[in-house]
Amino acid sequence: MFMIPILLATETASPGFFEQFGVDWPHFIAQLLTMLVVLFVLNRYAYKPLLDLLEERRRRISESMAQAEQVKQELAKAQEAREKIIADAGKQAQQLIEEARAAAQRQGDQQLQQAIAQAEALIAKAREATDLDRERMLTELKHEVGRLVVETTAKVTGKVLTPEDQQRLAEETAKQLAA
Amino acid sequence: MTAEHAIPTFAEPLFHIGPLPVTNSMVVAWIVALGLIAVVQAGTRKVQLLPGGLQNFLEFVVESLYSLLEGIVGPEFVRRTFPFLATTFIFIMVCNWTGLIPGFATIGWGHATEHGFKVMTPLLRPANADVNMTGAMALTFTVLWCVWYVQAHGVGGAINHLFGTKGGMKGAAWWALLPIFIFVGLLELVSIFFVRPLGLTIRLFGNIYAGDNLLDAMGGIIPAPFSAITMLPFYFLELIVGIVQALVFMLLCAAFTTAAIMHEEEGH
Repeated sequence: MFMIPILLATETASPGFFEQFGVDWPHFIAQLLTMLVVLFVLNRYAYKPLLDLLEERRRRISESMAQAEQVKQELAKAQEAREKIIADAGKQAQQLIEEARAAAQRQGDQQLQQAIAQAEALIAKAREATDLDRERMLTELKHEVGRLVVETTAKVTGKVLTPEDQQRLAEETAKQLAA
Repeated sequence: MTAEHAIPTFAEPLFHIGPLPVTNSMVVAWIVALGLIAVVQAGTRKVQLLPGGLQNFLEFVVESLYSLLEGIVGPEFVRRTFPFLATTFIFIMVCNWTGLIPGFATIGWGHATEHGFKVMTPLLRPANADVNMTGAMALTFTVLWCVWYVQAHGVGGAINHLFGTKGGMKGAAWWALLPIFIFVGLLELVSIFFVRPLGLTIRLFGNIYAGDNLLDAMGGIIPAPFSAITMLPFYFLELIVGIVQALVFMLLCAAFTTAAIMHEEEGH
């Protein structure tokens, strides 16, 4: 099967370029076909699927990055909304507190006024009662003093005083007490 | 090193499949092709969004090359040109490194000499140490370059771009300079269809063939197995050459393509 080649180049006295380098069409075409087969197979089974895959991966990464950016933006928006809600809630709470404080203030004032009024009424009532008691005591005192004056006068003078004298002495004593 | 010890400049046929002579470099190219196909199939059988293992490695290779080429060719044309440019890099690099596996150029048919057994027909030869391989890649690029050029400019635009007067001239100046630009266009055609493909072909072939010869020569300085000492530094050198030459081939193709596309943008 195998054979030791007869080297034409060594037999020719002055070989041409093609003979010198063993260039001939059958060899050339065979090598060309080998090259083309490799080119076809690599292109079909390596470059195309791998480049498509790389493109697909690049696309997915790009999409993922875009999605991540979108999520980030949405998160920022949500954060902003949250802060706004918290700020609004804070404002509302502050307002409610102010209102409550004002209402409490109003109610407190009102109750204070009521208490003051009640206290004043009580004081006035007490004063009135005191005045009445004083008046009553004064009246009683006048009567008692008048009676004592009459009794004392009757004992000192040793005579029985008439009702007119008694009346006059009582009135006189009352006048002096009142002065 | 004498001519007797030099590795032949051409790949040698091992056997025939019908009328097609199968050379040692073709066998290596097929092995590399099958290896690449197997690795790619294994790595992309179940492509997952969260990669792991081999898929991760393949993604790293593809993405790195894609980014590199996108920076050169531009985002508009990269998807169109990437399969060929990346394949040339991967295929050339794997072929070059495969050629460094022990057994290349040392296992084969030969005869005994006064210096020991000399292999005359190695079973395996680096695929890019064959002008047919490097030429096939250069020719494929030339054809694809023409396709991309026409896609970028249109047929009329491409002809105008090649032969038309540049610089926005009009009237008499346009007519006066037209013959010069037609001549420049013809030179450009020679460059596109001859100089560039030949340059790509010979550069890659020359480097890999020279590397093969260098290792062979270093291995012959002192008797085996001590020759490993003299060969080792050059193994590392050839590892670098393997990836650099793959990169050079791909980048030159990318640069030629970019130059063609950028001209159109400048025209606008």
